[in-house]
Amino acid sequence: MPYFESRLRVNFDDSNEVNSMLNFCEKLNIRNVILEPSNNIKNLSKDRLKIIEHISDINIHYRLNLRPLTLNMYKKDLRKYSKYPCFLSIETSIKEIQIKAAKDSRVHVLSYSEPDNMKTATLGVISLAKQNGTFIEFSLAPIMIANKGSQSRNFRLLYRFTQLLLKIKPNYIISGNFKNPYKLRHPRNLSSICHTLLGMPLNKAKEGFSRNVEALLKQVKSLKNENFFQDGIRLIKEDN
Amino acid sequence: MKIERQRYILFKIISDNSNIITEKVLLRAIWQSIWKYFGMREANKIGLWLVELNTLKTYGIIRCSHITKEVVISALTMINEISSIHLILSPIKTSGTLNKIKKFLK
Repeated sequence: MPYFESRLRVNFDDSNEVNSMLNFCEKLNIRNVILEPSNNIKNLSKDRLKIIEHISDINIHYRLNLRPLTLNMYKKDLRKYSKYPCFLSIETSIKEIQIKAAKDSRVHVLSYSEPDNMKTATLGVISLAKQNGTFIEFSLAPIMIANKGSQSRNFRLLYRFTQLLLKIKPNYIISGNFKNPYKLRHPRNLSSICHTLLGMPLNKAKEGFSRNVEALLKQVKSLKNENFFQDGIRLIKEDN
Repeated sequence: MKIERQRYILFKIISDNSNIITEKVLLRAIWQSIWKYFGMREANKIGLWLVELNTLKTYGIIRCSHITKEVVISALTMINEISSIHLILSPIKTSGTLNKIKKFLK
C-alpha cells in the first residue's frame, strides 16, 4: 500500500529547502509526496516542476492551496487556477466560501488543516462535500507542538473533527503538513496516531494516507487537460 | 484467556548527533512519551524492552506486547527531542520474531 505525504509546503524558488525536505523524506522512507508552493507562487510552469522532479527518486505530485478572504476573491482565484495540472484545495474559515467550495466541481479538496478552520467545520458543509464528491482534508501538524495547553486543545479539536468525519463518511485525506523537517513523520506512523489518539479505526486512518489520496489523484488526472503548459499558452493543432 | 504474543519494532534514529543517545536516556524518553499520551492504563500492558540500540548504524529494536504495538509506534512517533537534541524515532518494521527483523536489517 503506497503511503502519501499529502501536504509538504516548500519554497519552490529555494532549491536548498526543496533539497533538504526531499532528503528528509528519503531518510524516512516516504516514497510519495505532494508538494505545495509556500512562497505564494501560483505559476507552476512545467520547467520548474521538472527541475524539482530531478532532485530525488521520490514520486512527486503537486497541489495549489487557495486562501480566499472574500467570495469575490474565491471566484476570481478559482477562474484563474482551476486549469493548472494539479489538485486544488480551498482553505478558509468563512462559511459561505466553504459552502461554495463544497458544491464546486473545480475544487478537489476542502482543507481544514489549521485549528482555526477546524473549529468552523459543520455537519452541513461536510455533508454537502460528500454529496458532491469533494475531499475533506485535515492535518496532524497542530498536535506536534511543544506548548502542552495548545497541544491538548488541538487534540480535542482533531478528535471532534475525526468523529464528525466518521459519522458522515465523506471522502477524506489526511496530511502531515509539517513545516520543520524534524517534525516530519512517515504516514504509516501518523496513521497509528490517528488510531490510538484520535479514535479512528486503523484501516480508515491508513486509507486517509494511501487509497483515498490515490483516488483523488486519479480523479484529478482524469479531469485535467494534459496539454496545459502555462497561463497564456495554448496548444494549437497543426493542420495536415 | 488469549496468550500474549510479542512484537519487535525496528526503528530508525534520525538526528544530527545520535552518539549522545544512550539506552537509559532513550528508554526514559519512550516511557515519558507513553505516560504523557496514554497514561497508566496503557503503560501497564506494554511490557517494553529495549532489545538493541546501535547509534553508529542509527537503529534500535524494542519489544512490546502485540496488543500495544500501535501505542508504542505512536509513542515513538511523538518523540521530538531527547536531551535538547532534535531527533526522529521512525518505526520502519514490526515483526513477531527477532530473526525476521535481523534479516530485514541485512
